[in-house]
Amino acid sequence: MKKTILFLAFIAASGLLFAQKKTTTSATVSFDATTPKDDGPKADNKTVVGSIDTKTGDVAFEAAVKNFSFASPKMQEHFNGANWMNSDQFPKFTFTGKIEDIKKVKFTKDGTYKVKVNGDLTIKDITKKTKVDGTVTVAGGKISIATAFTVTLADYNISGMPIDAGKVSKEPKISVSAEF
Amino acid sequence: MITAGTKSKFSKWLPIIFGACLVVSFFLPWVSWQGNLVSGYDLPGGHFFRLAETKFKLGNPFPKLNFLFFVFWMIPVGALSTLIFVIIKKKWNLVAFVSGALSLSLLAVYFLFTEKLIMLGVGRNVFSMLQPAAWLHALSAIGLILAVPVSQPVLKKTAWIVAGPVFVFISFLAMEKYIMNETYSDTAGIKADYTISASDLIHEFAANDSAANKKYLEKIISVNGAASEVEVKSDSTINIKFADSTGSYINFSLEKDQYEKAKNIKPGDTVSLKGSCSGSFYSDILSTTQISFKRSTLNKQ
Repeated sequence: MKKTILFLAFIAASGLLFAQKKTTTSATVSFDATTPKDDGPKADNKTVVGSIDTKTGDVAFEAAVKNFSFASPKMQEHFNGANWMNSDQFPKFTFTGKIEDIKKVKFTKDGTYKVKVNGDLTIKDITKKTKVDGTVTVAGGKISIATAFTVTLADYNISGMPIDAGKVSKEPKISVSAEF
Repeated sequence: MITAGTKSKFSKWLPIIFGACLVVSFFLPWVSWQGNLVSGYDLPGGHFFRLAETKFKLGNPFPKLNFLFFVFWMIPVGALSTLIFVIIKKKWNLVAFVSGALSLSLLAVYFLFTEKLIMLGVGRNVFSMLQPAAWLHALSAIGLILAVPVSQPVLKKTAWIVAGPVFVFISFLAMEKYIMNETYSDTAGIKADYTISASDLIHEFAANDSAANKKYLEKIISVNGAASEVEVKSDSTINIKFADSTGSYINFSLEKDQYEKAKNIKPGDTVSLKGSCSGSFYSDILSTTQISFKRSTLNKQ
């Protein structure tokens, strides 16, 4: 009995030592809805929470909508407003997914790997299946991941005159980068 | 059959009817913002922007120009004067033109401002928000201008009808361009609204999250404490965190321009940071609360 407990304790301790799940609180998500008519609507959020499980390939991100920083106070206000992201009611964007081909990434060796990520992107409580291409870089024991993709605003019931007038892109580009 | 006599009698009554309608409709509701009725006199009376500010967070961007709105009191004054001048047979052309043009300008302000509110989610369509009195006011204003007996009527009357709304529209576009091109000032040069220790701030959010969010959101705050974590990223941006024993933490992101000043900060160092508070959110990944800051800067030590 004692041996079993000791064995279980050893398993638990080794799990902690070689934790598969890594987290960060400084991932960056950039939102770029600029158009030839207006180079204003773009913002960064650099306090995004992220996690990666190096064994299963599970990834997750959470970004506070209100921490997207615009150059223009008015654009930031509109972005957070009821018609757009409605950040009072829906305070965060989330992504949960899986790196499909995680097996090919060697986390013990420096290198860059192109991967495919499948997951759910939730904006304003509306969840859409999202499939994106990404890059995993291992360098000196540090893991970085990066991806860029577009979202269709209409999918999340976001519409309005600035979009119709071509001042805000219908399909803004979202870039994500994280260092673990 | 209308004879010349009855026609002139009828046309004498037209400015009186239009003038009276203009006065009455000025004091009736023109538009409904989510059930809040706003009348014509509410703009010069001040209620217009007070309501927009308190209910929909869209105040007058140029409060210094408020005095200009007093000119719209000329609408009822001018319309009443028109009535009186017609009755006592004095020349009423100019006063009727001015009240009509001002009325159409005021309507244009209501129309364009309501469109701005729609962008913020207040209603979906201006026309469905307009009240009957707004239409009555518009028709009376156009009617009054058309009733003025002048030479070259087409040219002059068209000019008086179009001038006000066009002027308002151009001013609106110019103001919008100005506002949209405005950028945030450098946080370093802004006096903090609050100065607080990191542990007190975390504690305040933990004690009452919604009250703290209300108090600190989008305010510039100086936070002092011992840094719990410093992350220098490969793009030379730096995140500095203050955490407490519960795991809740404050997260400041510093841009590249802060790199030289902040690169040597180590966990445990006492630092003072200033930034715009984005409030808190609960992270399901970390099972804890994060209070984020943007446009952050390192205060001088």
